[in-house]
Amino acid sequence: MTEPPYRPPTYQPPAGTGPSGPRANFGQRLGAWIVDLIPLAVVGGILYAISRPLVYVAILVGYAYFTYFEGSASGQTIGKKLLGIRVINFSTGGRLGYLRAFGRELARILSSFLCYLGYWWMLWDREKQTWHDKLATTVVVPESAYPVEHWPN
Amino acid sequence: MALDPGELRLVGAGMLAAGLTLPLLPGHPGLHCPLRTLTGVPCPLCGLSTSVEDTVRIHPGDALAANPLGVLLVALALCLLVLRPARLALPRAAIPTALAASWLFELHRFSIL
Repeated sequence: MTEPPYRPPTYQPPAGTGPSGPRANFGQRLGAWIVDLIPLAVVGGILYAISRPLVYVAILVGYAYFTYFEGSASGQTIGKKLLGIRVINFSTGGRLGYLRAFGRELARILSSFLCYLGYWWMLWDREKQTWHDKLATTVVVPESAYPVEHWPN
Repeated sequence: MALDPGELRLVGAGMLAAGLTLPLLPGHPGLHCPLRTLTGVPCPLCGLSTSVEDTVRIHPGDALAANPLGVLLVALALCLLVLRPARLALPRAAIPTALAASWLFELHRFSIL
């Protein structure tokens, strides 16, 4: 059986008044981040207890974790899955892929650089994008409005 | 520019709660600015956590000396929580202007300007 063709969500806000589709809110994104932080903190703590320099390995584990899950077909880390949100490519509406997901992780450094202004930015951004979302051309959306089976390949 | 009052209420409540509780925790945790740590140059949001903590403790002089934007943010958060507006809009230039003013203040405070 062939899969139905991709159809973008039908929601369209009035011109010039808001985002081009439903977006995850700040609370959902913060909640997902806190959930993701728990296993990463446990891994980091164990590695730090073994040897202090292994904390750099823990940072790499964090990058690998977010790149793997957000670059996957679901665009969801464990935290994002629990909070019912996902990251998608803003241009195509589809998955990020691992390269874009890794670039997005690196761009978080810039979002953090001015007292995390790049993260707060989503509070007043039209598309609710952080700076790393803008640099990677991604948006974080509610899973209910962008279910995975509607994505293109 | 339309804003989401529900989302800002959540953030405002979190900010007030952090301002009240962080100074009571061991070691007084807070956000450290990477730009200031690496270069010594403050960013537009530097001094905000100190300012918010001083504002909620009714130390307006210390709050204004750290960053006047913190006093404004506490006032806005209280308005959002008490008045609970259904809609909220700001002029498009409001946030860039506030950030630029805050940055100039911090650069002056750190004797860079």
